[in-house]
Amino acid sequence: MRMDMTMKIRTFFYTFGQGIRNLFRNLGYTLASVATITACLFLFGMFFSVLINFRHIMLQAEENVSVTVFFNEGVTEEDIQLLKIGIEEREEVASVTFTTADEAWEDFAQRFPEGFTEGFLENPLEGSDNLEIFLSDVSKQPELVSFLKNVDIVREVNYSEITANALSGANRLLTYASMIIIAILLIVSVFLINNTVATGIANHRDEIEIMKYVGATDFFVRAPYVFEGLLIGIIGSMVPLVLTYYIYNMAVEVISSRYSMLTGILQFLPVNDVFYYLVPISVILGVGIGFGGSMFTVKRHLKV
Amino acid sequence: MFPAPRAHSYRNHEQNRLTLRCGMEKNMAGISDEIVISLRNVSKQYTREAPAVNHANLEVREGEFVFITGETGSGKSTLIKLIMHELQATEGEINVLGYDLNRIRHGKIPKFRRNLGIVFQDFRLLRDRNVYENVAFAQRIIQVPGDRMKRNVLEILDMVGMADKYKRKVTQLSGGEQQRVALARALVNKPFILLADEPTGNLDAETAWEIMQLIERVNRDFGTTVIVVTHDKAIVDRMQKRVIEMKQGEIVRDDALTQEQDYSYDYDDSYDYQDVDADGYDYED
Repeated sequence: MRMDMTMKIRTFFYTFGQGIRNLFRNLGYTLASVATITACLFLFGMFFSVLINFRHIMLQAEENVSVTVFFNEGVTEEDIQLLKIGIEEREEVASVTFTTADEAWEDFAQRFPEGFTEGFLENPLEGSDNLEIFLSDVSKQPELVSFLKNVDIVREVNYSEITANALSGANRLLTYASMIIIAILLIVSVFLINNTVATGIANHRDEIEIMKYVGATDFFVRAPYVFEGLLIGIIGSMVPLVLTYYIYNMAVEVISSRYSMLTGILQFLPVNDVFYYLVPISVILGVGIGFGGSMFTVKRHLKV
Repeated sequence: MFPAPRAHSYRNHEQNRLTLRCGMEKNMAGISDEIVISLRNVSKQYTREAPAVNHANLEVREGEFVFITGETGSGKSTLIKLIMHELQATEGEINVLGYDLNRIRHGKIPKFRRNLGIVFQDFRLLRDRNVYENVAFAQRIIQVPGDRMKRNVLEILDMVGMADKYKRKVTQLSGGEQQRVALARALVNKPFILLADEPTGNLDAETAWEIMQLIERVNRDFGTTVIVVTHDKAIVDRMQKRVIEMKQGEIVRDDALTQEQDYSYDYDDSYDYQDVDADGYDYED
């Protein structure tokens, strides 16, 4: 039992060592594989960063789209608060703000030079208590509007149909476009990386055949190549991540400093938010393809 | 009619292997009456055309030296590939060292192959490694401990006359030297059967003869059963061993069917066979 375990540990270290040795033994192939994975994942990372930022900007724009509801005369604040609770419970609603007529007038007054509102004895905005509703999903604005219009205490619903439609259309387009671009990039990456791994292993066909003739088990033959693929995958996914990290930060800095007027409109995501998704995707892709590619390619040569 | 194979005692019993090795009764030529290879009505068809091997019947006893000869395309290489289980028979029964090759499970093939030493015409050495590494490669696969492996490798390289060149890259060696290294690799795990597919095909006549002498020595001194596929008539005639001749996939001549074998008791049991199984080398011997 102890001997069996010792043998397994020795086999593990031997095959792992062979995997590392293979990296240096076929340095040209190793560099080509790492370069292919790096190039694919770098391209993927760049597209991903741009798309996720576009999406972020769109969502920000959507967050500013609001529906304002004004009420009939004589409606109590209690009624409005009850309606507010009802609206907040709706799925498409992000937040609801209640503004009384007095608050609205104060807010108005603050926007003008001091003394501007002094001539008014009464609140000219009397009766303009309102609810401002921000949506989490602009495409559902028509449903909300139709609901609000049917509430008997509601006098008027203010909203911009064109803005909502344009935003939700652009958002939909962006989602589909990103999905297609990412899918194409993924397919190309998988194909290219797998091809590189396969070519490398095909060069070892003789070695694999000899191992099989001498009586090596499938595990013993496969393990070094799988370790090799795994290591290539890890290196190949780390390099583009580091590159993307620096390039992203640099790009955000350059855009923010040179085109400062855009900073109000374009709010870029912090690099950590982008990498929250990009790191696992890249590592899974690189390691997965390196591991899976070598596993399946060696299998093809095991039938000796 | 061939008798049923009697080599089943080998299968999965490494201790039996050792017992068989040490206790088998053999004749003057070192041949026992134990059948190690048995083919019954074996055919192999690659395409719908004529079969590469057609209803072949064959028995090889332990310690025999057998030539398989024939023209190019006669089916001799296919026959040896069937014996090493690189190919599967389309029809018939193949039994090698007690392994029924028609029914052998994929996981058992490595264990079976560890009983064989295989030599090819094109040497099939690992070109990026030196002589020592090429031979040690076979020992690593059965997980022989380092110190023992070194001893085994140097011993076998000494036997094939390559000990002084163990550090050389194989690409720096002549064809004959490369074949010696390939032979060392095939023998280092001390196999029961040595299968050589045109081992002299890429060599000049003199080197070819040296290699054949070496193979004969393996057969004589270690009692290893040897099957050599060749189309070199000069070597076959000169060696005076059992000859199986093939033509268009059929065995047209087999000396075993026409000659009386001489069985007397003379066996050199000084050769220490390794106890190897599918899980690796048993170094507690």
